[in-house]
Amino acid sequence: MTPAELRVENVTLRFGGLRALDSVSFDVQPGSLHALIGPNGAGKSSCFNVICGLYRASEGRVFFGDVELTRQRPNRLARLGIGRSFQNAALSSHSTVLDNVMLGRFALTRGGFLECGLRLPWITRTERRHAERAAEICEFLGIGDVLHTPVGALPYGAVKRVDIARALAVEPALLLLDEPAAGMNAAETAELAHTIHEIRAELGISILLVEHDMGLVMGIADRVSVLDFGRLIADGTPAEVQADPEVVRAYLGTDHKENA
Amino acid sequence: MWWVRALLWLALLIVLLALPLYLEAQWLRAGEYMMVGAVGAIGLTLLTGQAGQLSLAHAFFLLAGGTAYTVLAGGQEGERNLVGFNLPPLLALLGAVAITALLGIAFAPVAGRLRGIYLGVASLALVFLGLYFGQAAEGLTGGTSTGRAPEPFSLFGFEFSNEGDLEILGVPFRQSERVWYLFLGLLLIAFLLALGAVRSRVGRSWRAVRDNEAAAAVMGVSVARAKAGAFAVSSAYAGLAGVMTVLWFDILKPDESEFGTYGINVSIAFLAMVIIGGLGSVPGALVGAVVVNGLPQVLALYSTKLGWFTGTGEGAFTPVLISSFVYGAAIILVVLFEPGGLAAIGRRIAGRLSNPARGRE
Repeated sequence: MTPAELRVENVTLRFGGLRALDSVSFDVQPGSLHALIGPNGAGKSSCFNVICGLYRASEGRVFFGDVELTRQRPNRLARLGIGRSFQNAALSSHSTVLDNVMLGRFALTRGGFLECGLRLPWITRTERRHAERAAEICEFLGIGDVLHTPVGALPYGAVKRVDIARALAVEPALLLLDEPAAGMNAAETAELAHTIHEIRAELGISILLVEHDMGLVMGIADRVSVLDFGRLIADGTPAEVQADPEVVRAYLGTDHKENA
Repeated sequence: MWWVRALLWLALLIVLLALPLYLEAQWLRAGEYMMVGAVGAIGLTLLTGQAGQLSLAHAFFLLAGGTAYTVLAGGQEGERNLVGFNLPPLLALLGAVAITALLGIAFAPVAGRLRGIYLGVASLALVFLGLYFGQAAEGLTGGTSTGRAPEPFSLFGFEFSNEGDLEILGVPFRQSERVWYLFLGLLLIAFLLALGAVRSRVGRSWRAVRDNEAAAAVMGVSVARAKAGAFAVSSAYAGLAGVMTVLWFDILKPDESEFGTYGINVSIAFLAMVIIGGLGSVPGALVGAVVVNGLPQVLALYSTKLGWFTGTGEGAFTPVLISSFVYGAAIILVVLFEPGGLAAIGRRIAGRLSNPARGRE
């Protein structure tokens, strides 16, 4: 799949009197690694949920290539080539790693209760083929040796990787990562940065990353958009954004000195 | 280790196939009642355990399935104003399953909007609807006083009744023996279908909707469709169990109160089977059905033999009362000590046998 451009155009999201997003616009170029940052409550996750169709934008539109995402229902997303990971991982903890990742293949497979219940030959065949691909993706993310372990029994870092594996199992042209490093220690974060870098190098897909960890973002992103109180206050390369006085005031100020 | 498991299942199947050669009719009937429960419990464990939708409507779909079969297979009876379509029993059975599946879909708009205990209470309303319908639609159900006899099941001219003489290995095969094989066949189909679905993309979509609707949707699952599908499948299972119920009793007789063959107590009994067996586990549902539906039957058979619990009337310790206490206690024990139910205990034992080192940790 050739990567398409993601365009967020003047998106406003209101919850009653509260403006969670205020006329936000930015583009994610095909094949780029774009980070969306901002302090807590800046509207990063809301923006993600608008892109995914989980929230309806009050105003504005989101396009992926020629398709208007703001008109689609969320379950169309996977079919359009967009995969998403979640801040809280949102996996089935009693199910195995492979079973969770295989959910990502849902849009790529067919068959209802009777066909699957009867284990028709073509169902079994495609199931096996997709399971092989899912195992391959897990291998790539370094969780290939725990395929048959229930997710609930895994350490936190591995759980986050399962979530990313599931998003990749969609075979996306655009990968949305919602705070993949949240709750990770420094070593785990460094490993994750390496993995994200590899995903882009190997698959050549666009990645939109919401993140708190400045070290991670500044190290790997091509472009950074900064949200503060629902407004876009900066948009540029990591160096430009770091130098922007408004960004320093709103967000980096104290945080930046701590990390340096 | 999969072949050990396959061998055990095969052995169980052979034993079940051979039982009619050894057991008396009354014991066979007890076993058949457990199979009725098992089919219904599999349906409920798919809905409540896999798809995460609490339903207390199972008894209603039982009544709907039983009524549909009786009406579709039965004949017109002018003097009692009974409606009948004279369909071949196999067609009537499939029709009953299809009708209950459609009823399940009809309930889906409600089921899709409610969660947890709220859905449970809303679904309970269907049981009362069934109670009213059973009494009001006498042309279909035959009414509460006389009921209506269902057409015995038959397949390609072979009747599952006392019709004709049939003897195998010197054992006369009458209705109890024949129905045993019919029920075993239906249970086997229901069991294998459920197992296949649970392991496929369909089961995966149910579990995803149960655990996180937003994640399920983003992965391409239509949440509303997955929920409606689970309800339809579960209702179809209950409908089949309903057909088996009227064949087992040899009569379709709607309840006079909210407690009876199709009452609240039955909905709760199915929930008990599913919880004891382990929510979401298909083999667990089988074990749960053996415990909950089997216990009163077996106790009743033993009590007549041994002269226990033979009291009658209000305060008497009847087998039904005693088994209610036993499975009530079983639910409390499961919820307190092993929320995964008997299925989780089974998995742990299997894990220990196949990997003794890990078991000792």
